[in-house]
Amino acid sequence: MIEGRPATSRPAPAKHRPALDLVPERPLPTTDAGPRELWLAAHFPRLPLDAVLPASSSARAAVVTAEDDPKRRIVACNERASRQGIAPGMGLSAALARVPGLRVEERRPAAEAALLDRLGRWALRFTPVVSLEPPAAVLAEIRGSLDLFGGAMALCRRALGALHDSGLQASLALAPTPRGALWLARSDLGLSVTRVAAMADVAARLPLSCLQWPAETMETLAGLGIQNVADLLRLPRAGFVARFGPRLLDELDAGIGRRPEPRRRHVVPERFDERLDLPMEAGDTGALQPALVPLLQALDAFLRARASGIAGLRLDLLHRGQPPSRIRLGLVRPAGDVAHVRGLLAERLARHRLTAPVRALRLRSGVLLPLTLRDSGLFERGQSADPEATARLLDRLRARLGRDSVFGVCPVAEHRPERAWRIAEPGGTVPLPGQWPVTRPERPLWMLAEPQPFDGWEGTLVTGPERIETGWWDGHDVRRDYYVALTRSGVRLWLFRERPPGHGWFLHGVFG
Amino acid sequence: MSEALAELLRHPALWRGDTAGAAVRTIPSGFPRLDARLPGGGWPASTLIELLVSSAGVGEIRLLLPALCRLALASPESPRWIAWLAPPHLPYAPALADAGLDPARMLVIQPRAGLDRLWAMEQALRSGACAAVLGWTGAASDQALRRLKLAAEEGQSPAFLFRPPLHRDEASPAALRLALTARDYGLDVEILKSQGGMPARIDRLSIH
Repeated sequence: MIEGRPATSRPAPAKHRPALDLVPERPLPTTDAGPRELWLAAHFPRLPLDAVLPASSSARAAVVTAEDDPKRRIVACNERASRQGIAPGMGLSAALARVPGLRVEERRPAAEAALLDRLGRWALRFTPVVSLEPPAAVLAEIRGSLDLFGGAMALCRRALGALHDSGLQASLALAPTPRGALWLARSDLGLSVTRVAAMADVAARLPLSCLQWPAETMETLAGLGIQNVADLLRLPRAGFVARFGPRLLDELDAGIGRRPEPRRRHVVPERFDERLDLPMEAGDTGALQPALVPLLQALDAFLRARASGIAGLRLDLLHRGQPPSRIRLGLVRPAGDVAHVRGLLAERLARHRLTAPVRALRLRSGVLLPLTLRDSGLFERGQSADPEATARLLDRLRARLGRDSVFGVCPVAEHRPERAWRIAEPGGTVPLPGQWPVTRPERPLWMLAEPQPFDGWEGTLVTGPERIETGWWDGHDVRRDYYVALTRSGVRLWLFRERPPGHGWFLHGVFG
Repeated sequence: MSEALAELLRHPALWRGDTAGAAVRTIPSGFPRLDARLPGGGWPASTLIELLVSSAGVGEIRLLLPALCRLALASPESPRWIAWLAPPHLPYAPALADAGLDPARMLVIQPRAGLDRLWAMEQALRSGACAAVLGWTGAASDQALRRLKLAAEEGQSPAFLFRPPLHRDEASPAALRLALTARDYGLDVEILKSQGGMPARIDRLSIH
């Protein structure tokens, strides 16, 4: 049972292709007896181009080239470029020889991911079950939405119309398995399948290119004389796994409905975003503090209703006729407690210098994060730290003193004393590789940031010398004799003399 | 002792000089000669302790090291910070590791302004997130010291405040005040004030 409808959105009219007649249904060994699904796949073959160039710039031939490719091969091109004989896979120099005035852009994976994410959000208007298939496809399970949209074809027409209006080239296909729908959409034959039983037969007629397997796998398959999916399905399963691994066989099985394929749902992250217009423009930050209260109350209610916390916030101060001032707040741990956030924001606001009067506030949360519930130590407090207390302390100190004024220290396995440690994120020490050398002579508890010239000191040398000669390989070589010295006032110091002698004494540490 | 007096002495609001120290939670200092002179046999665990140091580096950190190790290990499942507030030099991670202190638990706070130091020390103490706070705050009013003491009690964390000896003759709310002077490879420890204890002097305490 096949509905052969061309489901392609492209500015040029799509060619009508005849429907395929199908071999009668043949039972499969393990047909999925679960709830029947119908997946709509949308494949965007020109996504690299659409992500980089707006649809309006189609007046000129344009191409997108692969990144990190010495030949700068073309990944996608617009309609005008393909009319002038340019096709994906062509080297850039060949394309420029054909069309000298070609507009060339480099591929931007981040922009592509962002566009695909937007398309995923858009697909959520048809069904709550949407899954992305990077780099260039969106899958949606639409069985439950068919009545609402007046059937599968009406839904597809509607989707195609919207995609066409936004200038995106897309091919759509329906199938009972997500992977099957993806194959059909990629092969762009205008085929759709609605029953699992028919999937294997339809898939057999598809070109291998719709699988989008790695190039070396495709080469091996070509070497075996395998032309299409039908040949592939005839291969012995054990041999296939031995040669290509189990993942590709799972993919094949999932495509034809022999095994279910769990898909990761595309979920739009929820955020708090509210704006408050001030009754009158505020000229100093003190007047903003009370205005924040209702916004924070709304945030509190929002977080409580979702049992969630936030790891970051942005407060925009909106001015008249100039861009807003932004105050960003990052938290060490997700906080669900608005009182904590209020304290931090008040601290930041108090330090903020207003460039212009403020007429409105906008409070926008980062992504919501689940809060881990904790028992708050009913009987004994203070013996062990509540992890939130440690994070809260860091947030509070950093909000007032600045991020760099609060840090941790971390030892580094290195013989040069000044390189045997580094500043680290508090609590974020990496374990030392191997055994920490504890057999070396004692080290001072306090280290000077830089060795200081220290001639003319008075006291006695207690121990030494300890010779440290290393680092010649990286240009920071150290040739020193270290001594422990005791000054007249009873302070133990760590001093060194450079070798060969002649530079005098340097103070490097204090034993404390 | 009359019945009435005995009853009066059982009243919880009344304390007597010789027993008051026992009620305070303490951390052994690791130096038996010092512990013998401290009420409860160690550093008071959650209050302000003032150390008047003749010059930075006489051995004031060595004196605290055994207690810091004990404090840091007290709750391995949810460890607390050892906070260093505006230390004269940076604590050296390899030496801390050698001494048995996990460098990952160190929190160095370097406020630029003097007033921020007192504020930050109070925050660290009050948060309950620190096993101990070592502070070099410089000038501090009597009121500021009182606030530190209250914060230490609230957060159940000892506050070790290092100050120069010129503050020796000032009144201080600290529960314990020591003056430290280096002498002949050892440390002279003078107990100037000790709530629930007696002033005392320990000569040439061996700390190395």
